[in-house]
Amino acid sequence: MKRPWLPMAVCLLWALLAIAGSWLPLDPNQIHLDSILLAPGTGAILGYDDLGRPILDRLILGARTSFLVAIWVVSLSATIGILIGTISAYIGGWLDLVIVRVIDIFMAFPGILLAIAMAGIMGPGINNVVIALSVVGWVGFARLARAQTLSVRERDHVAAAISMGTRTHRIIFRHLLPLISAPLIVEATFGVAAVIISEAGLSFLGLGVQPPESSWGSMIRDGARYMLVTPHMVLAPGVALMLVVLSVNLLGDWLRDVMDTRIRQTGTDK
Amino acid sequence: MTNRVLLSLLILGSVFMILSCSQQDNGYIRFGLSSAPLRLDPRYATDATSARLNRLLYDRLTDFDETSRAIPSLAQWEQLDSLRYRFVLRPDRRTFSSGERLTSADVKATYDFVLDQKNASPHRSSLALIKDIRVVNQDTLDFELSHADVLFPSYLVIGIVSAKAVQQGINLDHNPQGSGPFSMLAWPEEGRLQLQRRHDKQVFEFVHIGDNTVRTLKLLRGEIDILQNDLPRELVNKLRKEKGVSVFSRTGSNFSYIGLNFRQKELGVRRVRRALMHAIDRESLVRHILGGKTRVAESILPPEHWAGNKQIKPYAYDPEKSRELLEQAGYNNENPLRLSYKTSSDPFRIRIATIIQQQLANVGIEVELISYDWATFYGDIKAGRFQIYSLSWVGVKSPDILRYVFHSKSVPPDGANRGQYRNPIADRMIEQAEIATSIKRRGQLYQLLLKILHDDLPYIPLWYEEHFAVVRQDIKGYRLNADGNYDSLSEVSRQN
Repeated sequence: MKRPWLPMAVCLLWALLAIAGSWLPLDPNQIHLDSILLAPGTGAILGYDDLGRPILDRLILGARTSFLVAIWVVSLSATIGILIGTISAYIGGWLDLVIVRVIDIFMAFPGILLAIAMAGIMGPGINNVVIALSVVGWVGFARLARAQTLSVRERDHVAAAISMGTRTHRIIFRHLLPLISAPLIVEATFGVAAVIISEAGLSFLGLGVQPPESSWGSMIRDGARYMLVTPHMVLAPGVALMLVVLSVNLLGDWLRDVMDTRIRQTGTDK
Repeated sequence: MTNRVLLSLLILGSVFMILSCSQQDNGYIRFGLSSAPLRLDPRYATDATSARLNRLLYDRLTDFDETSRAIPSLAQWEQLDSLRYRFVLRPDRRTFSSGERLTSADVKATYDFVLDQKNASPHRSSLALIKDIRVVNQDTLDFELSHADVLFPSYLVIGIVSAKAVQQGINLDHNPQGSGPFSMLAWPEEGRLQLQRRHDKQVFEFVHIGDNTVRTLKLLRGEIDILQNDLPRELVNKLRKEKGVSVFSRTGSNFSYIGLNFRQKELGVRRVRRALMHAIDRESLVRHILGGKTRVAESILPPEHWAGNKQIKPYAYDPEKSRELLEQAGYNNENPLRLSYKTSSDPFRIRIATIIQQQLANVGIEVELISYDWATFYGDIKAGRFQIYSLSWVGVKSPDILRYVFHSKSVPPDGANRGQYRNPIADRMIEQAEIATSIKRRGQLYQLLLKILHDDLPYIPLWYEEHFAVVRQDIKGYRLNADGNYDSLSEVSRQN
């Protein structure tokens, strides 16, 4: 199967910039009144923003924001969602019934709207964005984990484990989770893309990072005000956001194909 | 088959309808507003947009000239003695839009209504010194005061409404009954108000368009013809280069400042306030961000105001001196001055606050920026919940503002001394000015007071923002006024 080199490179660059950003000699908050809204090429590769701050530096800082939020939200919601989904399906009974209803209620809300409401109540700030998006995000993992568990829990090796008196948590972690991990990993990849977009959306609405911190969403918001005069201010974060989300999605697609044994056996990828 | 014909007819029809809706050839002149008017009843309106529109709908007894001195408008006045004023209405005055003649009974009805405590008019406090109003004849009426005040005529700037409307309790917000050059045609929705110029039936539509970019685009497309203020400088500069629109600007008198909380012990020290003052580079902020005709300010009253002080020596941008002063006050790198700075969530205000934050950081003051939506922000400021904040005084005319803002008895809810500034010398100056028997003497005392306030810095003065207007080229006759009012609309016309 052909590897998606370009998306991999973009994602790698994103992660590298996010992690290494704090050691780079960046000047993202230094205001230069003389360079306000200067176009790309004049002193800075991507130009300056409405306060005369270099856009490239702010873009890298924004990469860190989106990376951190993505990692935190996906790990938090995956952990919570998978635990709840697996336990619910394995134990069954009234517990399963209650959890399914709760999941249904959460699914009935448009996710971003719930996140906006949460962020609005808790006040702006990056920590609250993580919490708000995790509250919305765990549901997808829970539903998927539950469905997968239901399909594997009747298998012989689980029955064997039960008959040998293995403890429940051991069964879940040793005999169920490894079997259902493939679709969950794929879900996590798509989750990363969705979280990046949601974080940008919340920051665009002013509910995300607070100035002078930088996020692609807030950069787009600031830039949109000067779109008629200096489009570079909104183009730079816009293109970065699009590239990263597209790459993560392509990677997710590829991962799904790789992990789905049925497709590999029938050889549809030739 | 017939279905398909019907469908295409339907689509054609709706396309035609959309096209015909977007045609704007009904001759209206459209004015883009950044904030919608709230009340068209001059007895209650306080926001700037409403006040400007009410000037078109109603006449007032007196008005202000460019130096903010009271001048006759609807009426000439003479002072009978220190407590009594006689006002004579102009013989050539307009009738009410209903056709009835405006008489002194209407003036009395308007002021009686405002003075009546149960009506809770926000303008009552400034008029509370009126003891009695007597109608002499149709054109003449006398005001009797409870105490002398040489500035009294300048308080009579509320639009006169018809006595009939007052008696019948007509809702003037939706049915304004005034004698101004315009009358209300329709107010079909909150953000769209249509006024008709009475002498030639020209209709003006005031459209609320909150977003700056959208307002600019609508002007360029010809969906609106005039807009005034509230655009970032970069957009204005772009519009200057566009064909089909012209941009003009003039100096304004709206005073922007940084307010300080004197209950905060750090800020109670004058050295610290001076350090703040010297740390802010107002010149370069004006040059790079505000631009045009914005002027650096030294006091709440601009120099051209009749009580303004032209001799005040401006504070220079001097970060070295600022650091020195901070050092003397006991702050250094290990023990920096920390302040929280509140501002509204308006992007332009945040932009300015961010720059000031950095300029203060350059002298070692750590500033935390907090921005709230307007209602929360303004509520906090009024309640004194702040360390420092930035805001503007809009439409300052009467030097009474000095008592309202700086007198130690004006702490909210009795005034707007929100930082609880207490200076006995300033208090005494304010009181003495108020009992001065001539306007000249009063002006001199206020000038002295402004100098004292400039030395003591209860506010960090920033600048007076410019006014600018962008109009399409077929619109003739629009002029900008010192306080940004829309009065010149009574002479505006479209010429093809």
